[in-house]
Order: sequence, then structure tokens, then C-alpha cells
Amino acid sequence: MKKIIENLGYKFILYEVEYQRKNLTFVTVDKENTVQLLAYLRDYEGFKHFVLMTAVDWIEDGLFQITYILNNPKKKIDLAIRTKILREKAKMTTAHHLWNQVATYQRELKEMFGIDFPGSPRVNESFILEGWDNIPPMRRDFDTKKYAEETYFPRLGRGTNDPSEYMKQKLYPNE
Amino acid sequence: MSSIKDILTPFTAWKNVFKEPVTVKYPLTERPGAPRYRGFHKNDVQTCIGCGTCESICENEAIDMVAVAGFEAKDGDSGLRPKVDYGRCCWCALCVDVCTTGSLCLSNEYTWVDTDPDNFRFIPGVDEKSWDKNELGWKKPEGDYEFYGLKRVEMGELEPDERNHSFIEMIKGYSKQQAEKEADRCVECGICTATCPAHMGIPEYIKAIRNNDLEEGLRILYDTNPLPEICGRICTHKCESVCSVGHRGEPLSIRWLKRYIADQNPSEKYRAILETENLQKNGKKVAIIGAGASGLSAAHYLVKMGYEIEIFEKLSEAGGMMRYGIPEYRLPYDQIDKDINYILSLGVKIHYNVNVGKDITLKKMSEDFDAVFAGTGLHLGRSTCVEGTDHKHVYQSIELLRKITGGEEIHVAEKIVVIGGGNVAMDIARSLARLQKIKYGKVQVITTSLETEEKMPADREEVIEAREEMATVNPGWSPQRIEIVDGKIKGLHVVQCLSLFDETGKFNPQCNLDNKNFFEGDMIVESIGQGMDLSYITEDIKDHLEMGPRGRIRVNDNFQTSVPWLFMGGDTIQGPDVIHGIANGHKAALGIDKFLIEK
Repeated sequence: MKKIIENLGYKFILYEVEYQRKNLTFVTVDKENTVQLLAYLRDYEGFKHFVLMTAVDWIEDGLFQITYILNNPKKKIDLAIRTKILREKAKMTTAHHLWNQVATYQRELKEMFGIDFPGSPRVNESFILEGWDNIPPMRRDFDTKKYAEETYFPRLGRGTNDPSEYMKQKLYPNE
Repeated sequence: MSSIKDILTPFTAWKNVFKEPVTVKYPLTERPGAPRYRGFHKNDVQTCIGCGTCESICENEAIDMVAVAGFEAKDGDSGLRPKVDYGRCCWCALCVDVCTTGSLCLSNEYTWVDTDPDNFRFIPGVDEKSWDKNELGWKKPEGDYEFYGLKRVEMGELEPDERNHSFIEMIKGYSKQQAEKEADRCVECGICTATCPAHMGIPEYIKAIRNNDLEEGLRILYDTNPLPEICGRICTHKCESVCSVGHRGEPLSIRWLKRYIADQNPSEKYRAILETENLQKNGKKVAIIGAGASGLSAAHYLVKMGYEIEIFEKLSEAGGMMRYGIPEYRLPYDQIDKDINYILSLGVKIHYNVNVGKDITLKKMSEDFDAVFAGTGLHLGRSTCVEGTDHKHVYQSIELLRKITGGEEIHVAEKIVVIGGGNVAMDIARSLARLQKIKYGKVQVITTSLETEEKMPADREEVIEAREEMATVNPGWSPQRIEIVDGKIKGLHVVQCLSLFDETGKFNPQCNLDNKNFFEGDMIVESIGQGMDLSYITEDIKDHLEMGPRGRIRVNDNFQTSVPWLFMGGDTIQGPDVIHGIANGHKAALGIDKFLIEK
């Protein structure tokens, strides 16, 4: 793994390298270089299998982090590529031409986070949230609790106690 | 039309009968979750204190705090335990990562089939599950991954060599930045509130600090405690001993945070902040004996309810034991005055130098006032009564402390032995150490007590600070006699004390008479507890008073004695402790109000 990262370092600028465990490493790169790096890993380093891609909302920093995880089946190792993009009008270069299934992940990220991937097939179609009329639900400014309270009925039989109030009732009810 | 080939072809499949199957056999028999998998919850319910922090952090409201048979609410434990609704849990494990005791974790079990959806709500650790003994699963990661600081913001204090020759306050107090940082460690569970004798709104005032709303903070303090400058310095802070953050780290500095709120609010703004500028009178009068913690507390709450209050104080200044028993380096007089002056500004009158029983009788008070509250405290020193205690250089700590406060000169010998292991013993030892340092340039005070180091009743920091100031603390000895040669004290003979109480819990010290020791000294100070002086209660009233255990007067929940107009509280009822006194005074005030409304 170290060797691969060293090689990558000659060709791309790597911001952060985190050796999570023997067979998994995280690498952070520039948004502009991400897709070419993915192509390079697929074609020259044996990372032929695309595992998944996902996003994290760093709302305080005004950024989205996109993570691609690739697998090298021969060496049985995973390499995760992270990149950060601006949260406002979030847009990322599509990678669907490298693996077909990327288009599906990108469609999901469009729906869940509102990250656009121009040119990705069917990227604007609903993925699982048919008829969704709110901000993308995985954004951290989406108020899940409020939405749930407005949309669903509460489960019967639930009830809780505030520890401090409960102790008052039990230990000093008359004070 | 079929051919012979069509008939035979199906049989060719038979050739695969003995081949190894390439598919996985169904059902899956063994496929455990990864070692750190986040599966169903486990809770060590004996360690859990029911603080509800797991419930507060849960974004999905999947956790309810519920009562569980066999777990009662008690100091430091709400008796509640978390119940998880797996219809809402998203297995994020924030509840595990925030857990204050570390009792909660997730097993790596993730498969469970049941036809009744209600079975997917259960109390981990109480409702038995097959994964209760699974070792694997998610636990809070080690290292500096913490949701709240485990370490206290350090309190600045004067170094021993800066403070040992003066009575300047040694604790410096928090700055805004420090206080907010310390307040940020609070998880707002509220477990502390029940343990505080005054049941102060602790999480609420800490929150006010975080929000930088110190006026709101002051209002919260005064809801339950009208002496916050004093308590912010010398409270016995029982709340901190149950703080949930203290299970894995250092408890919140609740006392210092209270002091911060009081210190930051200027006294001239108190009445505006506390909305006491226009108090309405109700025409009734209550007399209070003693301007100590309980008397002042009762006065404060009664005057706010509209009563006219007159306090009768034996000494020339108000504050009782807080002023005359606690040294200035722990509680400066201007801070006592700040709390008391506010109470006086509400219209409370104090008659100083009035000895109830001599200058005015209790009976006369009962005629002139609608009710009387007595918070007369414990002001008589107790003696060990060992041989030699009648020598003129054997003193009572409480008398010496009173004289030091009063500015009187006291005898300070070069070598002093203090008998006692409580906070008062530390107070007098540390005061004498300062006076020795000033007079002789060196400290030779030794304190000894029956209790061993671990069982000494003094607060730990008091012992540590006494030693920093070069006083010797040598506990675990029983005084036998004071050696006097030619009329001069030479020292104290002691033997090793093995235990204080017998099996029935009765005070009955056992000693090892063969293990002797001698503490050299030319002055002895006894500090083994205080007694009460109730001589102001005349026989005709005493005849109607019901007595409780240990010679104390019996009072009901409202601190009312069996003589209806006479209420009592403070140290005479609940033993020496400022915060208990304050709580008693508050409850007595409510009791008096109830009594006079019903009368």
C-alpha cells in the first residue's frame, strides 16, 4: 500500500494520507484531480472494482466531502479517495464513464445531498424519494425531527422521565 | 415432434449430483457482525446512573428513560434506565459515545426476527437478550475522542508561600473564558439537583453561564439560595460528588461556577435583576434569632413574601458561623457583606448585640411577633476532657476563630497541637499557621484526629492545602493526656486509634495502647465538634417542646416545633453545614407562611 501511495505522490498532489488499517487507506485530493486519479487507479494500479461513493456534510465549513472507495481485487486492498467541494451550488465532475454503477450513486447523492453531477445519466430523476418537496434530507440543516413530527404519528406506549424531575418526585416531592 | 435427444437431455443434469455446490447454503448459519459492528444495545445497569444523556443526544428520540424494578432513585442515581425503540434507532452509537459512566455499548448482533413489533422496544441489561454476553461490538473509542472535557479548568490560587503569611483570599476565581469553558463540560443531566440540600437549579445556572446571561444565572441562584457569594466559596459542594461527568473524568466545578455568577453581578444592580424593587407588605411580623445562614435565608424568603422581619443577633456583625467560624482567606468579609447587604436592602432589620433570653425573652418575642424562627447554631466548643484540658493554654477552636474575626489578639505559641479532623480543625490550624508565620517566621502546627487519613471528615482540599502551608496533619491517634511540667504545656500524649464505631454504629473508639506517640507543643487547641446553647428557651416553653434524638429539638417537615409559633432550623437541627442551613431557612419560611395563612 505504501508503495502505491508513494507512486501516486509523484503524479498527483495528495493532501492527507491516513493509513486506517493494513488493507484500507484514505487519501484526500483536489476536486479537479479526483476523476483523473480514479481513472489512473483503475487503469494502472489495479483498482478495478468500484465499491461505493458517499458524502459528508461539513456544514460549519460550508463544504461537502465526497468519498470514493475502490478495491484492488488482486491485492485485496481498498483505497478511499476523499475530496471537498463547496456546499453552495454543490457540483462535482461525473465519473460514470469509469464504472456504469457510478451513475446510480451520483443520482442518489443528487437526491440526498443536492450535489449535482452534470452529464451523469438520469441524475435529475427521483431515486427513492418520489414526490419529495423539501431540502435534500441528508443535509444537516434538514430538521429530521420536525419533519417526522409533521409527517408521522407517534408510537403508542412511549413515555419518558426527566431524571431531575423524577428524582424530585421520588426523593423530595413536597419541597 | 420430440426426438430421443429431448428425452435424454434432462438426465445429463445428474452428472452434477456429486459436485461441490457453488452457491451458499441457505439459511445462513454463521455470519457474525464485524468486531466493531453497531448492533443491538447492551447496558451494564449496575454501573448506569440513569443520567439520561443517551436520551438527550439521540437525534431520533429512540430512547426513553423508564423506571425499573429494583432500582430506586438515590444520591447520584435517578433509578431510571434507558429503553430503546428500534423502530427509531439508526445505530449511530452517539448514545454509547456520550455515556457518562461508560455503561452503554452496542453488541455486534444484528439479526433478530420477531413477529411482535413491540418486542423491538426493550431495556438493555434488564430485558435479557441472547447477545448480552457478546464481547464484540461498538464501544466508545479510546483516545481523545470525547464529547465533553474530562479535565477541570484549573482554578488559579495563591501559591503556598504567597498566602501562608496573610489572610488574603487564596482562590482567585474564574475569568469569563475559563467559566464558559468549564460550563461547557456540563451534560445537563440534573442528577446533582437532588443531592444539593437546597435543590439548586444547577444545570440551569450553568447553562446561563454558557449563554453568557449572568443576570438570569443570578435569578436562578436566588430561587433557592440567597447567599451565593458565600456558598460559591465555602459550600461543601455535595453536588460535585455525584456529578455524572465525574464518573469518567473530574466533576464540574459547580461551586466555582456559582461564585462566578455572583462575582460578575454588581451589588447595586441586584434588586433590579432580581425584581425586588417593589415588595408589597402583608402586615405580619416574624422575628428571627441569629443572623447566620438559616436565619438570613428565612429572612430573605419571608421578606419577599411581604413579612416584616427583625433579626436578633448576639454578636456585633451578621453572618454567624460564616463570618466568625470561617477564616477570611476562604471567605473574605466583603463577600459576606455583599450577600447580607442585599437581604438588608429588602427591608430586613437586624438588632445587633442582643442576647435573646437576657435582653429580650422568647416569650416577649412570641407576643410581639406572629412567629419566631430560631437559627441559633452551634457555638459552644466541645472538649476531649482528657487530663490537662483545664490549662489556660488549652483553647477551643471556635472561640479562637471568633476572636481572630473580631480582630482580637490571641495567644499564638511557637508549637501548637490541634485536636480534630474536620474542616474547623483545618481552619484553625491554617489560621494559626499564618499567625505563626507572621510572628515567628516559621510554622509548627500539628493536627491530629481519631479518624485515619481516609476517614477524616475534612474536605480533601483542606487537608492538602493545610500541608502546603507547612502544617502537619497526622491523623489516627487518640488523645490520652496533656503533659504539663512546671505549669507549662509540653505536649499531647496519644495512642493509635483503631476504630471509632462498634458494630451497632455507636461511637466507641478502640485503641492500641501499645502504639504510643507524643506531639510536642506548648499550646493545645481542641476542635472536635460544637454544641448548642439553648438556654434562651425558658422552662415554660421547653415543657411543650418535643425532643428528638441526640438532644435535638424535634421539628416537622416545615421546621416547625411542637410549639406552633416557634420554628427552628440550621445547625441546631441538621448539623453544621451552610447549605443545609440555607435550605432549612427556605423551607421554614414557606412553613411559616403556610402557618400564618392558615392561622
